[in-house]
Amino acid sequence: MRLLTHNMLSSNIKGVTNGFPLRIEVEKVVEKSVDFNPDFLKNMLAKIEYKALVEASRIMGYAELPDHAEPSMLESDDFLRKFHHALMELHLEEGTLVCPQTGRKFPVNKGVPNMLLHEDEV
Amino acid sequence: MLQILSTKQLTTRFIHTGARILNKKEMAVRQASLGGVDVDLETKTNVEKLKRGIAEFYDESSGIWEDIWGDHMHHGFYDPNSTISLSDHRAAQVRMIEEALKFASVPEDPMKKPKSIVDVGCGIGGSSQYLARKYGTECTGITLSPVQAERARALAAAQGLENKVSFEVADALNQPFPDGKFDLVWSMESGEHMPEKAKFVNELARVAAPGARIIIVTWCHRNLSSSEQSLNPDENKLLDKICDAYYLPTWCSTDDYVKLLQSLSLQDIKAADWSEYVAPFWPAVIRSALTWKGITSLILSGWKTIKGAMVMPLMMKGYKKGLIKFAIITCRKPE
Repeated sequence: MRLLTHNMLSSNIKGVTNGFPLRIEVEKVVEKSVDFNPDFLKNMLAKIEYKALVEASRIMGYAELPDHAEPSMLESDDFLRKFHHALMELHLEEGTLVCPQTGRKFPVNKGVPNMLLHEDEV
Repeated sequence: MLQILSTKQLTTRFIHTGARILNKKEMAVRQASLGGVDVDLETKTNVEKLKRGIAEFYDESSGIWEDIWGDHMHHGFYDPNSTISLSDHRAAQVRMIEEALKFASVPEDPMKKPKSIVDVGCGIGGSSQYLARKYGTECTGITLSPVQAERARALAAAQGLENKVSFEVADALNQPFPDGKFDLVWSMESGEHMPEKAKFVNELARVAAPGARIIIVTWCHRNLSSSEQSLNPDENKLLDKICDAYYLPTWCSTDDYVKLLQSLSLQDIKAADWSEYVAPFWPAVIRSALTWKGITSLILSGWKTIKGAMVMPLMMKGYKKGLIKFAIITCRKPE
């Protein structure tokens, strides 16, 4: 699961109003090389929750991403490359996603998150 | 919205039309499947059993399907009365995707085309891969089957699409996404598995962004006439057999879907019966099952898959009788 995906997942357990972002517990991170696409990244900055990405990347062991992002930073190749690395190249192969409100754990196995809810959670 | 009739009202209507009276339990099942009422504990447990059955069915069957048919687990779109060779089917499956996008008027203009896509009931990712490539954008797919999700991921990686498509094990009735996330909400032949149609449609609408298109291609039963409360007993009997083998909940009609979309104030609602365009499909699947490769693969797959294969002639029968319809229903979420 790369962080672009993590950035769109939320906990929809019954009664949860604050299900995003899911906290990450890491067991195994894999770095995978992905083609750098500046146009795609420029489009993505507006669409993602940047703060959640920063936090998630830190947990995954990457601390280079600046705390805040301004649209003007998209002109900087250096920023774009860090943004690219955090968003697209860090994969959680094994670990857990945790609901920030209830603490409920969703497993991630072989890079695939399992977001199925139990009977009493819907 | 959905009208819940009293037993007296139902009885009166049935006496006049001679149709079978649905007993209270059957009525509850039909209402529950449309999602108009709170489901009781027994229904909830059955829903859980159904979801497990679906996951297990696809865990067991996806491999053999992929082996013989490839990564698109849906009907092909064919010109009526054409003769098809086995190699044409893959092209027909791709055409089904294109025809659906066209029907829904999904824009291709670079400014207006979808930038984020969800594939609800993604199988092994055939549609996800195709849509991500076509629009040059990210697509995420959800399935109840961990085996499918993992296979989808591997296939996408093999095609160099790992950075464009992602897959999660998740429930279409409780999608793990915030509201308004996707420009294109795609459900290709998964709707028939959804036990609570209203909840299913509600989730599709919830995760759709303003202006997004929702495309549902699914198996329905024929529309009921205004004097009918249900299908006739023979029709229900046929569908029950199919439901059992394919882990399908109670069927609904195309009209039911349209009413649900209308109740959510979705716009540009369009529906069509594409049964005539998929007619060659089941005979072809049956033929492929009867090949040496088909038979040996079935034997190796397991009982669920075999049962599914044995019921295929019933699908053909259902289409021939005009009972089963291959339906497309699309709409747009208001800006």
